[in-house]
Amino acid sequence: MTKIFRKSNPLNKMINSSLIDLPSPSNISYLWNFGSLTGLCLALQIISGLLLTMHFSPSINLAFDSTVHIVRDVYGGWFIRNVHISGASLFFTCMFIHIGRGIYYGSFKNLKTWYSGVILFILSMLTAFLGYVLPWGQMSFWAATVITNLLSAVPMMGGTLVETVWGGYSVGDPTLKRFLVLHFLMPFSMIAVSLIHLVFLHETGSNNPMGINPNMDKIPFHPYLSFKDILGFSFLLTFLITFSLLLPYLTTDPDNFSPANSMVTPPHIKPEWYFLFAYSILRAIPNKLAGIIALVMSLSVLLLMPILIRSNKRSMTFMPLMQVTFWLMVCNFIFLSWLGAMPLEPPFILMSQISSFIYFFIFFVMFPLISRNEDKILEFHAMYS
Amino acid sequence: MGKTFGQLAYIRHIITFSLSPFEQRAFPNFFSNGFPNLVRRFRGQIFRIGPPFALLYIAFDWTTKTHQALLRKNPADYINDE
Repeated sequence: MTKIFRKSNPLNKMINSSLIDLPSPSNISYLWNFGSLTGLCLALQIISGLLLTMHFSPSINLAFDSTVHIVRDVYGGWFIRNVHISGASLFFTCMFIHIGRGIYYGSFKNLKTWYSGVILFILSMLTAFLGYVLPWGQMSFWAATVITNLLSAVPMMGGTLVETVWGGYSVGDPTLKRFLVLHFLMPFSMIAVSLIHLVFLHETGSNNPMGINPNMDKIPFHPYLSFKDILGFSFLLTFLITFSLLLPYLTTDPDNFSPANSMVTPPHIKPEWYFLFAYSILRAIPNKLAGIIALVMSLSVLLLMPILIRSNKRSMTFMPLMQVTFWLMVCNFIFLSWLGAMPLEPPFILMSQISSFIYFFIFFVMFPLISRNEDKILEFHAMYS
Repeated sequence: MGKTFGQLAYIRHIITFSLSPFEQRAFPNFFSNGFPNLVRRFRGQIFRIGPPFALLYIAFDWTTKTHQALLRKNPADYINDE
């Protein structure tokens, strides 16, 4: 019998078992493209980021000017920076859809895959925050000031923690330098966690829209899903290039075109759009420590998904009430994000508070109650209809 | 790492089927079956997805209008002004 090279060579065997001969469910929809799309975004961010680093000067006197230098003088620099800016937005778009799909179809029941994914999500948020500080514009500086100051609410050691992160008594040169180092380093740790995420995923196999065991009907990853992924890549690259060339500053703040000035606070400090939901929750609570706890909870609630949603059906495909609750969660997320961008004036304050309450109410009350009881309601309905 | 083909499930008899390239039609009955199916799927989902988005719009609309109303001065305060 002839030896098949892709199955005999140890390295090829790994590639073969995860990209070629991997048994995949035959019924997965385009929503299953967003994992690989997030991976593509990470790769693009690393490549464009590497090219940007070569021309960037991490010093508070030079950072802003070197960013302008990249855009104006470096050959193709404007494009690389635009790709890096739009890429970050697309990265989070893909990630949010990926997480939403995971909640809708019960992918969180693959515990190890889900937890490694949540770690990736938190790492990517941290990395994006660190990167936003680097151009040293007004919004960069004040975002760094506001977010690092959150640590000061930690009891007993808050002050020490903040000064340790700053490397001084205010956001300054050491802060910028360490933020660059971490912003450079963390994507590589994200690659490592992504690989762990994939190893765990391939251990159980992909989930599917029906939420049932798909082992009876599986297809090889290549050519079916490899080509489907490539089609997704082409769409993502089309969006990326469109945004980079036509609307590069669509999601950025105009204040960041002014150099950082510690003596002038911008009238409306707000983060990039992908942090707005969490920012809105943070602002909604007047007490600083409680606000931070709510902020952390808004992200770590994902870790509790396997406990919160417990039904004997995995996917929401056959659970109409859960579907309504899910879309309510999506709409509330959009509303919270919009409120996060609004000034702190009535009625935005009250609406943020209501919306934050609904956010946690959906996760801690509606999801557990409905997921546990919907099948009973459906059974009752089936019995007497 | 994970199960490979051949050890996924106990399957009696292996059935393989294929279609001749001359018989393949990439979009069979696209309009006659596909469009009614699209309508059916849309009708199945609209009352689950629609209401939350309607609520979102109402909340957005009310918040924006209330904010604008609060920014306006109260005309009653200036009734005696020249």
